[in-house]
Amino acid sequence: MKTTKIGLILLLPALLSATVALVGCPPAPPSNDTGMIEPPDDQSGGATSTISQIGSTTVLPIADAWQQAFTAAHPDIQINVAGGGSGTGIKALTDGTTDIANASRAMKDEEIEQAQEKGVEPVEHVIAYDGIAAVVNTGVGVDSLSVEQLSDIFSGEVTNWSEIGGADVEIIVIGRDSASGTYESWKEMVIQMDGEDKERDYTPEALKEQSNEGVRATVAKTEGAVGYVGLGYIDESVKVIAISPLGGGEAVVPTVESVKTGDYPISRELYMYTAGEPTGAVATYFEWGMGDEGQKLVEEASFVPVK
Amino acid sequence: MVKRRATRVGEWIIERLIQLSGMLGIILVVLIFLFLLQNSLPIFKERTLGELVFGQRWSPTHGDGQFGMLPLLLGSLYVTVGALVIAVPLALAASVFVAEIAPRRMREFLKPAIELLAAIPSVVFGFLGLLVVGPWIDAHVEIIKVGQFAALGSVMLAFMALPTIVSICEDAFHNVPREIFNSSLALGATRWQTITRALMPAARSGIIAAILLGLGRAIGETMTVLMVTGNAQVIPKGLLGFLKPIRTMTATIAAEMGEAAYGSTHFHTLFTIGLFLFIITFAINTIADVIVRRGEKDIA
Repeated sequence: MKTTKIGLILLLPALLSATVALVGCPPAPPSNDTGMIEPPDDQSGGATSTISQIGSTTVLPIADAWQQAFTAAHPDIQINVAGGGSGTGIKALTDGTTDIANASRAMKDEEIEQAQEKGVEPVEHVIAYDGIAAVVNTGVGVDSLSVEQLSDIFSGEVTNWSEIGGADVEIIVIGRDSASGTYESWKEMVIQMDGEDKERDYTPEALKEQSNEGVRATVAKTEGAVGYVGLGYIDESVKVIAISPLGGGEAVVPTVESVKTGDYPISRELYMYTAGEPTGAVATYFEWGMGDEGQKLVEEASFVPVK
Repeated sequence: MVKRRATRVGEWIIERLIQLSGMLGIILVVLIFLFLLQNSLPIFKERTLGELVFGQRWSPTHGDGQFGMLPLLLGSLYVTVGALVIAVPLALAASVFVAEIAPRRMREFLKPAIELLAAIPSVVFGFLGLLVVGPWIDAHVEIIKVGQFAALGSVMLAFMALPTIVSICEDAFHNVPREIFNSSLALGATRWQTITRALMPAARSGIIAAILLGLGRAIGETMTVLMVTGNAQVIPKGLLGFLKPIRTMTATIAAEMGEAAYGSTHFHTLFTIGLFLFIITFAINTIADVIVRRGEKDIA
């Protein structure tokens, strides 16, 4: 009898650990008044409204900075910010459990359809631009590459740095996991060369890291490694590659400035989605975020302001 | 009279409550299974089972989505088998020592200490592997190119499965009647002969069950393998596959669930992986349970 009990006791955790990954992304806590936020009442001073915001971890630094500065200026509005990934945010918006969904990619058609089925009309707000930098281990002996060469590297066509003028070191490709918006952006803009070759995909050999920091750390300590990170994650532990655009041209190093002017070829939009046009507190929040103060915080977080 | 009836009603309620709690585990397992089934079945309208299980390429966001799970199934197999190869000899030795060789006071200290290993969160093992063990092996073994590879996941999982295996093995040794041990010694067998030829065969069913439960623990583990195995969806080849990045089923679900569009093919495929994992762990645990019961009958 005793051992049977042990068997049963151990059965549950084993099964749970197998299934916990499936429920590992809890939905956002519902806001006080889902979707329908009362405009702040300036006269009484006691009334508060809450904005909930969930989604992309890439957008998180901006959302956090906005939340701190905005609530300091508007003590009557409370903002809850959570990560979880672009898809999680969009799902929460569709289910009406969040006011704003953060996303590092545009909503897919099937996601828009699903939202509309549930009576939610998603409205897109581009809140910043983000440049994606190619970074390499310091020992590869290459300073600049074309988009075409990067495409060959990441799709596994080129496997040694010596084939493209570098040291005789095997290329180790480090990418993000496919849930990442950055993974998609890099694939479209670099590997498929802006959609020129839709068949091309990451080499299966590519390692998948869960975060920008993870990519940077692995590239820094792995000989021959190449990866990509958002602009804000560049530091001296890795070498940043200057990239020349498709069809030739001068190689450009990614900076806030070169992304803003459009000289750097690999940049994307970052989004916040609302259900319908924002009203009340959410409208106030967006007005502030897209204004000078909000956009200055975007730049401080090493993203590129929209204006 | 009234008081007695009240007591009876109270007792009836309490009995039902306890009964319900007892059944809660079963109800939960059934509900989880149905939940997995409901969310994974829609995939079979689009793909066949063969395409999913034997497909060689996992690239869910490429084109229509490529959902070949073979790299993931083999990845889980490699990491888990590797973990058992490391954990089983260690766990057997540890449980023999704790059960039969260590003095009583040491045993009283050792057993809870080993069980304490189970209390360490898996993310801590992940950090340890990623920041300490992985880079160390990478620096000392020439053939390894990146500090994230299958065998590293096996090493970390081995330590995580260790308390499960040791604890149950130790119980199994303890349940072996003393007469077997003593008669063997009395016949002039050495302690080593007694342990390997009398004790271990007698505790065989318990040992097998312990290994199977350790296996279940290892195959379902998520966070640690996600952090240390590199997650490249390659099909591992031969023994060299242990030294290269690999991707397991659990890590795939954890990494991709967050941004898979709700209700998409990708979403349903991830649930199908979960369903497969559920079936595998369920089968392993059931087999372990059957073996334990049979062993009890043998000894009785």
